[in-house]
Amino acid sequence: MLKQPGPRNGSLYAAPLLALLALLILPAFVRGEYYLHVLVGVLFFAYMASAWNIVCGYTGQLSLGHSALCGIGGYISTLLFINLGLTPWIGMVVGGVCATVVGVIIGYPCFRLRGPYFALTTIAFAEILRIWVENTEEILGIELRGAQGISVPLKGQSPAIFQFEGKVAYYYIVIAMLLMVMAVTLWMERSRTGFYLKAIRADQDAAEALGINSTRYLLSAMALSSFFTALGGSFYAQYFRYINPERNMGLDLSIEFALMGIVGGQGTVFGPVLGAFLLTPAGEISRATLGGRFPGLHLVIYGLVLVLAVLFLPKGLIQPIRQLFSRGGARQSAGRRAAA
Amino acid sequence: MDPIILGIAVVNGIIVGGLYGAIALGLSLIFGVMRVINFAHGSFLMMGLFIPFWLWKLFGINPYLAVVVAAPALFGIGYLIQATIIAPLFKRERAMILEPLSVLLLTAGVGIMLDNLALMALGPDFRGITMDFSAKAFWIGSVLNINYTRLIAFLTSIAITVGLSLFLARTDLGRAIRSTAQNRDAAALCGINVSRVYNITFGLGCAILGVIGCVMIPFYLVSPSVGLAFGVRSFIVVVLGGIGSIPGSILGGLILGVVESVTAQFVTATSASIFSFVIFILVLFLRPTGLMGMKV
Repeated sequence: MLKQPGPRNGSLYAAPLLALLALLILPAFVRGEYYLHVLVGVLFFAYMASAWNIVCGYTGQLSLGHSALCGIGGYISTLLFINLGLTPWIGMVVGGVCATVVGVIIGYPCFRLRGPYFALTTIAFAEILRIWVENTEEILGIELRGAQGISVPLKGQSPAIFQFEGKVAYYYIVIAMLLMVMAVTLWMERSRTGFYLKAIRADQDAAEALGINSTRYLLSAMALSSFFTALGGSFYAQYFRYINPERNMGLDLSIEFALMGIVGGQGTVFGPVLGAFLLTPAGEISRATLGGRFPGLHLVIYGLVLVLAVLFLPKGLIQPIRQLFSRGGARQSAGRRAAA
Repeated sequence: MDPIILGIAVVNGIIVGGLYGAIALGLSLIFGVMRVINFAHGSFLMMGLFIPFWLWKLFGINPYLAVVVAAPALFGIGYLIQATIIAPLFKRERAMILEPLSVLLLTAGVGIMLDNLALMALGPDFRGITMDFSAKAFWIGSVLNINYTRLIAFLTSIAITVGLSLFLARTDLGRAIRSTAQNRDAAALCGINVSRVYNITFGLGCAILGVIGCVMIPFYLVSPSVGLAFGVRSFIVVVLGGIGSIPGSILGGLILGVVESVTAQFVTATSASIFSFVIFILVLFLRPTGLMGMKV
């Protein structure tokens, strides 16, 4: 369970690098805003599932409250932009810091609870925040506009304020964000913290008996995850130039992040990305082609995939692929040994 | 605040709260016996509401008579879902480390599927039943009235709770269920077919929702999304009362009903649910075993 493919296994990185190369040159070939829009959606969910994975995948605690952090990021960057004219580039970092503080404050009591209780409490916190925003028109003179939501005013094409013509720029921004969160995950996985987190996931009591301060490491992971989730929330709000409580901080959003992380493979760098690349297009295609006649079809597919994944691939879709690579790697090294 | 209005709010809260308690019974029973958090619980209630609705709409059958169809149907659906989808996980876990989260995810997947299959088939509309009976009310004094349909729902909820307690205490099957809850392996050694007990428990937890659906539909509008609100409420009720405790479930339901109803007099009904969540979090942090729960 804790075995990681060693860094010497080169073939493991060849495939993702090729995929990245393909993604980078893709906009040159894709005609039509719609397909680019779908791709931005896929990459956004890959990013959010990866951010969720930093705390949930590596600690084994299921958070269904990450949408609140996403909403905090979105609202703070939007409100700072509208009321103070602060560029969302800085606003998203401010939102990230605020979400980190909120995440740690909520995480501190929650991490004493385990399993289903933890999941239910995160739902409760996120729902309290969503219902409060939905029923608040203005606070301290700042307009929140309740359930109506806030539109980000269009000030023309200007990279300085996160407004771009077309979707290509957003596409490259979200790729950069995804690479960043994956790099951080990889770094964390290889660090001392990563090993501590895995020990806590395997058996929290045993880990504590070995002298690991589990609260401290769980909270560091929570802080990292909160920061990146809020950053993504800002991107989501600025990309659509609109934010409302239902869409940007609803329970459905949390379930989607968790679903992609779990189906892809939690506790791995590539798993959540794989989950998003498989599920988001499946959802988008069914919505676009049959959505009018069958509302909810994409969620039926998500539900079915979740059931099948839990039953047959409890470690996620990444597991069989990993085995394939490690077997290939083992054969290669065996061949090299034979040659020498 | 006017004491009369407050009194009416408390009475309404008790009536609705009894119903919340009975809805949460199945969740509590299933957790108590199988340690499974059933995230699809609200979706089963949605089915329990739709069955009497369609029987009334298509054949004109009185919803109270529809119990004879809805309860066995829900029992069968629950039994089948447990036997085909959840049981394989138990078989696997017997050999591996127990991971309650994977069961939770499994039932969440089932719930998402059921809700959205209903949405696909029926659309998002709210549907309800009108009976000449439904407008009549029972008067206490000259200010306080209780709608007959709600009164019937409340009394049914109490009856279900008492019936379930008696069933678990007095019958052989009830004893088998309780012993499986206490110790799965010891029960198996005593000759109890544990997987059959699990199937029956799950079916029973769902059958209760079939009965509730029939008494609720005369005054409640049903839509495919109704499950989520009641699922979340049931979790609050169960955590309040103590997970696995049957009297706790009714107590938790009554508390939640009264809190919701009274706070709705002070703030808008939509933001009143914030208070329910706050109570939920406080109970989990301060008394995680619930008001009537035992130490696990």
